[in-house]
Amino acid sequence: MKITELLSRESILIPMTATDKESVMEAMAESLAAAGHVVDKNAYMEALIAREKTGSTGIGFGVAIPHGKSAGVATAGLAFAKLAQPVDWNSLDGAPVQAAFMIAVPEAAAGNDHLKILIAISRKLIDDEFRSSLFRVKNAEELLALLETVEG
Amino acid sequence: MTKLIAVTSCPTGVAHTYMAAESLQKAARSRGIELHVETRGAIGVENENTPDLIAAADAVIIAADTDVLEERFAGKPVVKVPVAQAIRDANGLLDQAVAAAKEQANRPNAAAAAPAKTQAAPAGRKGPYKHLMNGVSYMLPLVVAGGLLIAISFIWGIHAFEVKGSLPANLKMIGGAAFALMVPILSGFIAYSIAEKPGLAPGLVGGMLATQLSAGFLGGIISGFVAGYVVVALKKYIRMPRNLEGLKPILLLPLLGSLITGLLMIYVIGEPIQSLMSALTKWLESIGTTNSILLGLLLGGMMAFDMGGPVNKVAYTFGVGLLASNVTAPMAAVMAAGMTPPLGLWLSTLLTPGKFTREERDAGKSAAVLGLSFITEGAIPFAASDPLRVIPSLVVGSAITGALSMLFHVTVLAPHGGIFVAFIPNAVGHPLSYALAIAVGTVVTAVMVSLLKKPIEAKGENTK
Repeated sequence: MKITELLSRESILIPMTATDKESVMEAMAESLAAAGHVVDKNAYMEALIAREKTGSTGIGFGVAIPHGKSAGVATAGLAFAKLAQPVDWNSLDGAPVQAAFMIAVPEAAAGNDHLKILIAISRKLIDDEFRSSLFRVKNAEELLALLETVEG
Repeated sequence: MTKLIAVTSCPTGVAHTYMAAESLQKAARSRGIELHVETRGAIGVENENTPDLIAAADAVIIAADTDVLEERFAGKPVVKVPVAQAIRDANGLLDQAVAAAKEQANRPNAAAAAPAKTQAAPAGRKGPYKHLMNGVSYMLPLVVAGGLLIAISFIWGIHAFEVKGSLPANLKMIGGAAFALMVPILSGFIAYSIAEKPGLAPGLVGGMLATQLSAGFLGGIISGFVAGYVVVALKKYIRMPRNLEGLKPILLLPLLGSLITGLLMIYVIGEPIQSLMSALTKWLESIGTTNSILLGLLLGGMMAFDMGGPVNKVAYTFGVGLLASNVTAPMAAVMAAGMTPPLGLWLSTLLTPGKFTREERDAGKSAAVLGLSFITEGAIPFAASDPLRVIPSLVVGSAITGALSMLFHVTVLAPHGGIFVAFIPNAVGHPLSYALAIAVGTVVTAVMVSLLKKPIEAKGENTK
């Protein structure tokens, strides 16, 4: 299982210039649609917003992980954005977000391999070292190289 | 060293569940705390907290926005927070859990002071038994309150409650209300123990149907288990699109749970009970009063078999029915046999207190009063919590009492009242023999219960 099956080049947004949470999410969802993971962007956006309403996905330490499970998702996918300007995300610790992973999960999750990678990345985000490496990536190659180190 | 366990869970099950788990584990590692984390996410339950792990844990952290089968942790100190808090403040959560564990450990006499509910349901017991005990412990206060109020209403004479609007009538009405709730609550909280909150409504409905279908407390036990497991199955197999997921707990589970439980109760339990009752009635009529000792034996055993259930009702109705034609000996047998179950259990709690929970020992005292007042329901909590050992003991004692009552030619003219009937001149024929018959059955029941019941396992379950 390669990380690139989840995270296409189209969905790596470095830098991301949007300056508010909704535009960031729109752009990331759009990129997942461009990569073919998302087939119904509106349905997927709805799921994302519904999830945000139950509590911000800004988990603190400058990271957000907006995610949605929706019939609008064809295959599990991941998008990454490194924000040119930190964006307010209503985070748990109040800190603005510098990097965001967006996760798309299909309604009927086929096979656990994709999910396992996503879970492994989620777990990694708790690791301070991993996060500081993440904040340092300058382009898609560096990001993919970093994510290759994550064991699914 | 403090041993902690945790459960993390979130609705989507790909991100927060695992970040929370990671965050807790990281904090625990850095502080040298032993922590086992169960994750309930999109790929299912991983690192499940086994009964052994739960038993060994000093405290439980629940960081979840979904249902995590919390009742597994009954009796343990639990720190419960939304999943996000474990990500934001894992250290603070560990502090809270450690403090909760300490508090539990420092509580003087931890084992004895543990809440009665957890004591009544030690984790060492098997699943179904634990569910049963949960139902019984919620039902018990209703039996005590209802039974004693009805008994008090007899103080003004056993017919006093027939005067509408009088205090005795109102006491009887209050007691009756408590009794009407008894089986629904038993059933509801068995189901609650199995399926948590969504199980309660179907369980209550099933229990109410058990009452309406004359299925008694045994029917209520059945409806509780049916409702509980039906809801567990529904929770597991109904998959809703995510945006409709909210409908599941508020619409689908109560609706389908109550519907399925209700239909099963009516068609599978209710109809056979109706035919059982008419068959039993015919059978009793065929025996008639010719072989009076056999009749007494049967009536007695039937009274104790399900205490308010179909078998009991047939026997009672048979006895009361004969009063109209001035045949009064079977009524005496029926009443005596209805008095010995609570009396025998009371005596048994005195003979072998170690075989009863504290709750039951206390309930034994009121059972004595209920027994004397011919309120057989006083025995139900004991019978419901350990039916296979208690019911046979009650049946044997009551059967002997019923047979003796017939043998001594005792007669009773009133359909209720127990010892209060004795205050009415000439209502009881051969009162001393009657007392003897009741005493013998009481002793037989008490000895059998005391021999058959297993001692309560005084497992502290790591409360130290």
